Amino acid sequence: MYNICHRWKPHRGGPALIDEILYIATLRFLYSIPILTVAIFTAQMINSIIPKKKIEELLRKTQRNLLGASLVGLITPGPLAPYLPFLRVLRNSGLPLSAVVAFITSQTLVGPIRAFIEIDFFGAAFFACRVAISFLIAVSVGACYQLFGRHIGLAISPPKKDET
Amino acid sequence: MFPFKLDSLYGDRVALKKLKEICMNSLKDIKTIFPAFFAATLAGVLLEFFIPENIVYAVLGENPFLSIVLATILGIILPIPRYATYPIAFSLLQKGATIGTIFALISGEVIIGSPDRDIMEFKYFGWKSFIVRGTLCTIFVIVGSLIVEALL
Repeated sequence: MYNICHRWKPHRGGPALIDEILYIATLRFLYSIPILTVAIFTAQMINSIIPKKKIEELLRKTQRNLLGASLVGLITPGPLAPYLPFLRVLRNSGLPLSAVVAFITSQTLVGPIRAFIEIDFFGAAFFACRVAISFLIAVSVGACYQLFGRHIGLAISPPKKDET
Repeated sequence: MFPFKLDSLYGDRVALKKLKEICMNSLKDIKTIFPAFFAATLAGVLLEFFIPENIVYAVLGENPFLSIVLATILGIILPIPRYATYPIAFSLLQKGATIGTIFALISGEVIIGSPDRDIMEFKYFGWKSFIVRGTLCTIFVIVGSLIVEALL
């Protein structure tokens, strides 16, 4: 659908060219509106179905499990900023930094809105590849933290009670 | 006495309230995403009209390794708003950029996010963790893009 007019070439200069550019951009944008609207609405629906508390619960259950934290990150909708305060609380109550980092990485790389747009623009195969590789990236980043974190001076284990 | 159960009425009210909340939040998102997406679409069309195919191919298509590294760095440093990368990436793909490069650009864009998110992460988990995560993500995104380049 988005492929519309992509083979058009400018044949005139001046205002006609500007008109042509604006026309193609508007047309493409109008064609993108339905998928964008559906994507945004679906993301908000998921957001209300899986509230922050549920994500917090799931993260608590993952404990030291990087795979679990990365998976929870993949299904968490919306921007990361609202989740950072409770990630800090979870960290202070025992969640290792490697799990926090795995969650942050997978949460930022994939999301419901991205799913719709990516499938529309680049196809399902590309999106499937991106989800799989993003998951691997998140797990790898977490594993690197676990393996080498101490050597580069990162506070991998949760802070002691008096530090929080 | 009542033709309906009070429980179901309460349930309906809760559902309606939730639906209203979903619609309001969606509208808020639409307000921020749509203008950025239109600007990105316009940028994509401009790119298609004014940047010759051979230049895009030479920079982002000929040597996959170099183009992937360049696209990742561009994704990180360019202040592209959320979801606005897609129309630009699509135009680049039409012009001859490889699929691995597109993967690198899209994934690179999210490594460093909005300033508020980065400041919070920086404050909560320390500057060292922020820098190490950014560096590791960059390296793994490059590796992932090379895998995508080989697979697709």
